Amino acid sequence: MALKISRKMLPWIFLAPMLMMIIFSWIAPVLLTVYLGFTDLSSKNFLDFIRNFFTENVHLTLENFEKIFFAKDPYVVEALTITAIYVVSVLSINAIFALVLSIAIAYFVRNEIVSMLLRVSWLIPRIMPGIIYALVWNWFIDPKYGLLNTLLKFAGVPEALLPESWLLSPPYSQILMIVVNGYVGASFGMIIYTAAIKSIPTDIINAALVDGASDFQIARHIIVPLLKWPMLFVISWQTLSLLSSYEYILMIWGSGGGGGYAGIARAAKVMVWSLYSYSKAFAAEEHLYGYASALSLILVVVGVVLIVTYFKIFGFRRLMEPSRIEV
Amino acid sequence: MRKKFKMPSIGGRTIILNIIKYLLVIIIAVIPLIPVWSMLLWLAVQSFSGRVILGIIPSEVTFKNWRFLWSPIKMGLKEYPNIWPVTLNTLFLALGVTGLVVFVSTLGGYALSRMEFKGRMELMQFIIALHAFPSIILLIALFVILNNLGLYGKGYMTLVGIILIKAGLEIPMATWIIKGFFDAIPWDLEWAALVDGCTRWKAWRTVILPLVLPGIGAISIFSFLSGWSEFLLVFTYVEDEAYYTLPVLIYHMIGEFKFIDWGMLAALGLFFTIPTIIFFSTSQKLLLRIYVGGIKR
Amino acid sequence: MVKVILDNVSKFFGKVKAVVDLNLRIGDGEFVALLGPSGCGKTTTLLMVAGIYKPTRGKILFDDKDVTKLPPRDRNVGMVFQSYALYPHMSVYDNIAFPLRLKKVPRNEIDRKVKQVAKLLRIEELLHRKPSQLSGGQQQRVALGRALVKEPDVLLLDEPLSNLDAKLRVVMRAELKRLQKELKITTIYVTHDQVEAMSMADRIAVMNAGKLQQYAPPTELYNKPANLFVAGFIGAPPMNFIEGLIKEINGEYYFDSEYFKLKLVNEIGEMIASKTSETIMGFRPENAKIILEEKPNTIQGKVYVVEPLGKDIIVNIKIGDMIVKILTRPGAELTPGQNIWLQLDMKKIHFFEKQTGKAII
Repeated sequence: MALKISRKMLPWIFLAPMLMMIIFSWIAPVLLTVYLGFTDLSSKNFLDFIRNFFTENVHLTLENFEKIFFAKDPYVVEALTITAIYVVSVLSINAIFALVLSIAIAYFVRNEIVSMLLRVSWLIPRIMPGIIYALVWNWFIDPKYGLLNTLLKFAGVPEALLPESWLLSPPYSQILMIVVNGYVGASFGMIIYTAAIKSIPTDIINAALVDGASDFQIARHIIVPLLKWPMLFVISWQTLSLLSSYEYILMIWGSGGGGGYAGIARAAKVMVWSLYSYSKAFAAEEHLYGYASALSLILVVVGVVLIVTYFKIFGFRRLMEPSRIEV
Repeated sequence: MRKKFKMPSIGGRTIILNIIKYLLVIIIAVIPLIPVWSMLLWLAVQSFSGRVILGIIPSEVTFKNWRFLWSPIKMGLKEYPNIWPVTLNTLFLALGVTGLVVFVSTLGGYALSRMEFKGRMELMQFIIALHAFPSIILLIALFVILNNLGLYGKGYMTLVGIILIKAGLEIPMATWIIKGFFDAIPWDLEWAALVDGCTRWKAWRTVILPLVLPGIGAISIFSFLSGWSEFLLVFTYVEDEAYYTLPVLIYHMIGEFKFIDWGMLAALGLFFTIPTIIFFSTSQKLLLRIYVGGIKR
Repeated sequence: MVKVILDNVSKFFGKVKAVVDLNLRIGDGEFVALLGPSGCGKTTTLLMVAGIYKPTRGKILFDDKDVTKLPPRDRNVGMVFQSYALYPHMSVYDNIAFPLRLKKVPRNEIDRKVKQVAKLLRIEELLHRKPSQLSGGQQQRVALGRALVKEPDVLLLDEPLSNLDAKLRVVMRAELKRLQKELKITTIYVTHDQVEAMSMADRIAVMNAGKLQQYAPPTELYNKPANLFVAGFIGAPPMNFIEGLIKEINGEYYFDSEYFKLKLVNEIGEMIASKTSETIMGFRPENAKIILEEKPNTIQGKVYVVEPLGKDIIVNIKIGDMIVKILTRPGAELTPGQNIWLQLDMKKIHFFEKQTGKAII
């Protein structure tokens, strides 16, 4: 006998598993992060907390935020600076360099096969498993066996400027941090921009050719102005993304023996805010979960604010088709 | 009044502009790819070579880099876990994530695509918003939750917990992708099935499902690769070496063998990348569409 | 204001032969229409003159200079696209000024020229609007302005009127023709509408499947079509075609179709018979009269359908199992099924070789 499920109920049965997973992986953690930010949870009172959510060994406190906002934690300012440098630099690659790259690949290059090859090549950093990406970069920067220093010497960079260790010495380590993330991020902009460029009606390009424009003039007067909205989209999306990204940095600077996760990253001055929060929770001896959550919470709040703003600016439809051209 | 046609001096300007154009393409698009290509080349070459000259030229062809396949790796007094159980763990994680994601998002995607319910629009917007939300800052809270559920530090249960988390993180995008596939099915087919006597459920199983098989294939591959490559969650939550997955093992190996045995590291890396290579060579169009369609940093 | 010559021009896209061995000479200041059905190669030809496509074979000359290898920017042509292709992010003013800006013309000069063109096309009040704020007719005039502002040597138009509604189309036809005569620019106009081509062009190049069928002034195309295709394409309602054989009986020549025999003037019969005996006869709907009683050398038929058009009527006549259309003034009552006879104007009949489609008379 078939179960008679009312029409109204059926959709919710289909949706239930998804909703449960979303609550588990997204909503509950966010709410919990909010709560934890105001506590002094650390390895000391952790077990008590697990046993009893309302245990009195965990105290509600504003101390975490005092540390952050009143610079009681000396590293907060440095983390902020590094994060700012990181976000702005990688953003320029992702949004601006990617634009030039896309025009080069999708417009200047007329041969479909070459264009395809280039596009796939630029996607490789994004498609590679993260740890392999970290592995090959580790090799690449190796002073003895890696190619980086050799290639740079070949390109005419004087030996004196090349560091002993790209990992350890700022600003080289920071340049490396930016470049490593930049390669992955550039393909994001490339995907959006090339789709947008391909959707410009050919007649408009032909009209410009007849009007007397060279390829450069077409790029400057026709293509770039029409890519305003995709560009805004890329900048918005990537800002949020970059503020909270730390996986590649962790994979490359974490593995170094000795200092563990945080040791090298801090010395190399590549510890961005999100990584700092991570290290305070999982790498510090005392596992300052509360403080780390507070650090994280700042990002959560920024994230939510930005997303709501994007919805307001772009509207649902445009977020769906970031490559749509219109005026 | 009548003008004769003035032949412009060609050669000069157009040719120079063309040269500059192609030079620009090479400088901007091709030269930065040199590191990328050399990295891939190195991975392939080094894994089968003894010492490598100038980064990418093999000195001898050897299989000893692959010894981790049959003998355990030692470093001083430390013996690293055998590669095969670790591979199994990774497989466990990948398949677990895949199964869960496919199941949940197919159901959810269908509901979002073709069912009427209150709050449908809002739910769709919410799912897109999740796309944008950086999930890796939730690791601390997830850690607490795992502990609460008893899924931490308990051998395979920890991996199960990780499967749950990872699947939950992949589900918004997978749902969106499969919803797209559902959207493309004409309503007539479903109506015909209903008129022919199916219940909604039967119609779904016998008519709709077969038609979204490519979509399911796509998100399966995608989820598998994402579970296979997952590093952060395992790294953060798994302390017992016996339950490492390959990415974490490789991570520790990099730290240990970085200046000593690039050969083995490369071989290890290549070994790990085999599924990715397989999937990409058999279904590039599909996958590229997903990567392009489901853009998430 | 230049002559345009296409010398054995062909364009192939892989295996597709879009244009084959096209030879065309367009005189200085002439208005030439490229006419034909979709896919006949007319737009491809236009794009080759513009320089957007390069011919696979052959040469293109402006006056006697070979421009085949020149890119569009060096050819000084102006083009109006079917979609108008206005730059959506620029105002009307900027759209029209664009070609001049690219040439680095000084600012006040640009201003003067743009305003001059705008005045000519009566779009002065629209200069600050964006294309999306304009109607189809206005967009078309802006596109025309952009093409004209650089004082091109050749003006190219790709079905510029096809996106306009019927009434506007008729108005714009006259406008364009007048404009062209005033500016005296060599103009090539692509269209699939034969009425448009006939009413506007000095000469029409009729194309089909990439090949030129006939290149002549409108009246010549109408009265002396070179082949079946041109004869059937030009004129509405289209020419009637009837297959038949030329027979000689006792020194007299007849056209013998399945259902009737028509006596031909001896010279004509002789001429046709010398080429072939299998022919197709063609006559235009307006070159036949309907009479109600049998007379010698007429064709018998039954009225099938009457289509009143107001000033004229089209009468569909069934002959055997063929149907021919006759254009005539309303007059006697004609009812379906009625027996009538057709009297053809023997001076205006055409004959075509059945095998090749070429015209004999």
